[in-house]
Amino acid sequence: MKRFALLAALCTATTAQAAQDTAGLVRFVACPVYRDTDAGRKSGCWLTDDRETGKRWDVTESPYKPDWNFAVLVEGKPSANTAQPCGAPPLDPVRTSRLDIPCTRHMIPAEGFPGRRYTLPRRNIAPASVARPVPPGPYAERTFPVYFEFDKDFLVYQYDDWLIDNAVTWIKAAKPKKLVITGFAATEPETVSGVVLAERPEAAQERAETIAETMRRLLPGLAVETKWEVAAKATDEPEADGLPWQSQRRAEIRAVF
Amino acid sequence: MHFLPQRSLALPLAALVLTLAVGARGGDVPDRWWAPGEGRVLPAVLDYENANGTLRTLTVGGPLKTAGHPFFEPLGKDGRACVTCHQPADAMGLSVESARRQWERTKGKDPLFAAYDGSNCPTLPQAKRESHSLLLDRGLIRIERPWPAKSFNGKPIKPDFTIEVVRDPNGCNSGPNYGPEAGKISVYRRPRPVANMKYLLAVGFPFDPKQGYALPLDPDDGKPQSGNLMADNRAGNLRIQMDDAAATHLQMLKALSPAQRKQLQDFELRIYTAMQVTKAGGAVDSGGAKAGPARLRDSEPGALGSIGEPVWSEFKGWENISADEAAKLTPEQLTFRQSVARGARVFREKMFLITDTAGINSRIGFGNPVRNSCVFCHNMSQMGNDVAPGQVDLGTTTLPFADPWDDLPLFKVTCTGRPHPHYGKVIYTYDPGFGLTSGKCADVGKITLQSMRGLSSRAPYFSNGLAKDLRGVVDYYERRYFIGYTEQEKQDLVNLMSAL
Repeated sequence: MKRFALLAALCTATTAQAAQDTAGLVRFVACPVYRDTDAGRKSGCWLTDDRETGKRWDVTESPYKPDWNFAVLVEGKPSANTAQPCGAPPLDPVRTSRLDIPCTRHMIPAEGFPGRRYTLPRRNIAPASVARPVPPGPYAERTFPVYFEFDKDFLVYQYDDWLIDNAVTWIKAAKPKKLVITGFAATEPETVSGVVLAERPEAAQERAETIAETMRRLLPGLAVETKWEVAAKATDEPEADGLPWQSQRRAEIRAVF
Repeated sequence: MHFLPQRSLALPLAALVLTLAVGARGGDVPDRWWAPGEGRVLPAVLDYENANGTLRTLTVGGPLKTAGHPFFEPLGKDGRACVTCHQPADAMGLSVESARRQWERTKGKDPLFAAYDGSNCPTLPQAKRESHSLLLDRGLIRIERPWPAKSFNGKPIKPDFTIEVVRDPNGCNSGPNYGPEAGKISVYRRPRPVANMKYLLAVGFPFDPKQGYALPLDPDDGKPQSGNLMADNRAGNLRIQMDDAAATHLQMLKALSPAQRKQLQDFELRIYTAMQVTKAGGAVDSGGAKAGPARLRDSEPGALGSIGEPVWSEFKGWENISADEAAKLTPEQLTFRQSVARGARVFREKMFLITDTAGINSRIGFGNPVRNSCVFCHNMSQMGNDVAPGQVDLGTTTLPFADPWDDLPLFKVTCTGRPHPHYGKVIYTYDPGFGLTSGKCADVGKITLQSMRGLSSRAPYFSNGLAKDLRGVVDYYERRYFIGYTEQEKQDLVNLMSAL
């Protein structure tokens, strides 16, 4: 048993180390540039310039897209796909978080770049009228993460709704005794592009309460408890797409039996 | 007016003149205006003419005896009934034309002009036309909201903004009994149609992506709420809506009884209205088109056009009219049908940049700007309302986007927490809209999208009557978003909307 515990601890340490590994990833703050490509609906391009490297990146694939009036925190991985439909190498996976730093809005023409024709992202939910397949048992305690923009508690469309929809489907089948929702915030300051960034400690509680309210609405009658933690550590949950910073900004839905 | 189960015919002009000439009650031809307590029978199929053709209203399971029915009987002290502001001839809403006609024929005595909300303010001299100018000029009813909002969706709230009155041309936002300091805010809005309700109540997805939560639950039946009933989303179900209306617009001194509520809800779920015949193009369910109220009645509500039946594809059959079919039409009919079909495509396919619009560009993560078309928000098949709760700030009520109005109150909203994502810390608005309900600065100026059916019968448009006609609607969008519609596209959109 002791050996098992040691092994588990080693595994955890390895996992944490992997989760913190930022090699090959980029992270910077920039004012977004909108490239007015037109390949139909939602086909405009979002570009951001990393001031320190001088590189321009295509961040259009972020589930939460920029506002041209505000700076964004960009976190991503250079895509293996070399195509540049927006005129810059894409980051994918990528996240952009709106910061409260004003920017001069800037739009550039398509300049011959086609942009991307919109396709439904992988993480999209079916209409409420469509029955969800019942996930197979056996059912035991399980935790479902949900992820957020920097310093926000707002559910990200076609990301968090999908994560929660999956969690709710499983919980309805598993019938746990209660849910424990824990909100996390990455409160340790870090300097990115010369900007000191730290999430507000309150963000942890806000995330817990936002998810708890949503779970109460989706699963009325099920007991829901909330907790929150600051100084969040990264995890390597797959739905954070290998972006450790994204994994820190989360809430966890733990189904307890 | 026709009570015809078969395809309607154009009403002869003489009959229309006669209809308009008779008094509020009586005369040989049933009046266009449904006065409270008349006791008329509402037929199963009821047609009314308007400038663009024939509106048809279907009462499922009809005809309906209105005598004693709470929708048609005066229930409160001001003599009004629900039907006063939800007229069958006006697509179960109220056109400014009808309001003016009632003013002229009754010398302002119709219960429609009740001091409480049918005048600009109860403190004004009620016999004067100018005291009712907002109703007579733009079809606006006074809506009195409590301030500060104390709860939303059953939860206590503390608003994150303050309100000051910058300008109060009507006296209902200042003085000892009115205004924020008296715990009341008066805004002025168009009545919304009470018809096609299954679409407005339909829930497409479990989440409200604009608010970042799962949909709130109905306090009565525990089911998710659509959020599409009222301009400011203050009532999530019909029971709350009718209680609110009875206590305010009807000035009922006691609550509606359970039996009355049941009758009202039953009726409201049985009424379908839409254009049936266009003057220029003929019946909207002919020549391959599949529009009209019967289709509304028979279709499943709540479908998202982008993944199912495209919005306004009812007119697809008019896109490529065969030579044989064209030979049956007059040149005018053919031209109009082709225009409507083009309008449907323009509505879906003409892309433009949507900018600085809360509910679209924030907080939901589509980005600011985002390229899309009218159907981005008007996305429900058959109806053109929003499948998601439709609280969006088009700017129709809020500066700098709203048109200037010197007869509306102007409020200064100051955000005490996070600034508004597009307006910043301070917002000037004629109507804070959804913000008065949610208490959130980010929701100030948001107005719930509504049905697009029966538009020809109920001008003017937008919640504050900003657009006096359908062209005005298109023109507002053009100047708000620099869409670049051609003159032909504008006319096609007008023709499309006239046929809904």
